[in-house]
Amino acid sequence: MGKAQLIRVFQVVAAVLIVVLAVGLYRAKSDASQKQAHVRELREEIEEREARLRELRAEIAQRESPANVEDLAERQLGVVVGSESEALPESAIDDRLPAPRRAESRP
Amino acid sequence: MRLLAIGIFAVLLLLAGRAVQLAFSGDPLAAQSRASAASTLPRGDIVDRNGVLLATTVRAYALTATPSRVWDAPAIADALRGIFPDLDRATIIRRLTDTSRDLIYLRRGLTPDQRDRVHALGLAGIGFETEHHREYPQGASAGHVLGFTDVDLNALSGVERGLDAQIRAAGESGGAVRLSLDMRIQYALEEELDAAARAAGASGGAAIVLDGRTGETLALASWPVFNPNQAGQATEDQRRDRAAGDLHELGSTVKPFTVAIALQEGLTNPGELFDLARPLVIETSTIEDHEPHVGMSSLREILAHSSNVGAAQLALRTGGARQRAYLERLGLTSASGLELGRDQAPLAPQTRSRRDVAGVGFGYGIAATPATLAGAYTLFANNGQRVRPTLLALASDAAITRTQVFSPEVTRQVLTYMRATVTDGTGRAADVPGLMVAGKTGTAEKLTGADGYDESRNFSSFAGVFPANAPRYIIVLALDDTGEGAAGGMVAAPAVGRTLRRIAPMLGLRVEARAPTR
Repeated sequence: MGKAQLIRVFQVVAAVLIVVLAVGLYRAKSDASQKQAHVRELREEIEEREARLRELRAEIAQRESPANVEDLAERQLGVVVGSESEALPESAIDDRLPAPRRAESRP
Repeated sequence: MRLLAIGIFAVLLLLAGRAVQLAFSGDPLAAQSRASAASTLPRGDIVDRNGVLLATTVRAYALTATPSRVWDAPAIADALRGIFPDLDRATIIRRLTDTSRDLIYLRRGLTPDQRDRVHALGLAGIGFETEHHREYPQGASAGHVLGFTDVDLNALSGVERGLDAQIRAAGESGGAVRLSLDMRIQYALEEELDAAARAAGASGGAAIVLDGRTGETLALASWPVFNPNQAGQATEDQRRDRAAGDLHELGSTVKPFTVAIALQEGLTNPGELFDLARPLVIETSTIEDHEPHVGMSSLREILAHSSNVGAAQLALRTGGARQRAYLERLGLTSASGLELGRDQAPLAPQTRSRRDVAGVGFGYGIAATPATLAGAYTLFANNGQRVRPTLLALASDAAITRTQVFSPEVTRQVLTYMRATVTDGTGRAADVPGLMVAGKTGTAEKLTGADGYDESRNFSSFAGVFPANAPRYIIVLALDDTGEGAAGGMVAAPAVGRTLRRIAPMLGLRVEARAPTR
């Protein structure tokens, strides 16, 4: 192979390499920007969900707070702290139980 | 020339290889994505010892306006007042027309719902900025302990201020600060304190429950209460923490220490009898008991019946220097150590006369907070060793600093006298069958300027330890500015009894059931 041919081969290979390089870089950059956008999206979503989670946890804590539970118990069940909720002596339990039902007879 | 061509080729080959690697290798941003998954907050959560959420940082919105884009300021002001009636119309119009400013904040801390309602109005020049807002889900409960922040989340009071650095660090790491409080006990204590303060016509009240072995504060209440979610709407009086922020002459709750000091120093013994029938005259002052004692009295009776004359006699035997040294070891000359924004140190001037020494013996001439007193009472749960109160939940293997004040024998002896105070003495109303409560009542007349002490205004309290057979928990309940005759045994001790009946099951303690009230 002559010197001129060798140079031509190098030029062709170099040209091919430049094209591959350009395409490769373009692909890498576009992938990276896509990924970056995706990461940003995911991050925003995580932050959004975390914020919502914190709000929900605060709401749960408020609903489960002793003040709220006691208020609900008083309004909806008529249970008042310091009266019925106090421990009963054993002898008084029978008086509080509902009357026993008659067992249903089978045919 | 050939070498140059080969060199260029080699460089191109390297670059091409790197390009291909970048193009087809794995996700270079994956690590970054993982690292940023946990977002940071300016302030972390505060939870109680059982993980119940007490304070958290939630998303909020600031209502903003760009004056240069506002066309009809009066119409916008009217529309906004439809959602926020407390906005001042004239002020809003003036600010909306102030075009010298690029951006103004009309309101902070909007909820998502409020933002949506404003958004639906479609007002030109009105916008929103996302910000953080501190939320206290328990409402007014533990309000004084938690404290509050300003709109920029700068700590202003309570543990928000006392533990500011830790709460900020927790926010950065996504963690939480765990307090020693138990919200079940906190709520019961607050309710009973509220009922007692209202019934006694008190101007204020404070109560604290400690695990005396570790110093962990299980509940800390101050009355009147305020809701930290609306701290700006509360009065200064409501926001004031009386448990660790208000100083009072403690009265007779100090007497167990006076007796213990005398026993510890060998200045008396359990068999000695005292003549308490006559008042004690020191210099120009006369010390007398509310109900004079007939015949000779023992140490047990001095405490059970709260004799000022007996306590003064013992204090005089102790002397000022020794008394001062014990007060320091008891922690009655320094702040309680609670991690609050305001932890008031006692007012304990050096005693200058025999009258002063005698006065300190029954709780006058030394002013401390209920929290400081509770800290001193921890020695009854630790065989004479005092521990520092804390609001932080401690690990089971945490090192606890203990200060030996009295010997175990002296401590046990005084504890039996305190038990007698509850079974036979002034603190009978604090007795809860099955719980073995020991304690001491206190009724201190309030100092009213130059007029001296006012008999019609009292600081009424009860300080106790339970169960006396295996002492562990400390309770102090105090009511300020109760009326004449409203002694600690009459207004504070019953509230302690009711509280203990409620919280005993939460502490794993059994009480005897009592007959139903109806």
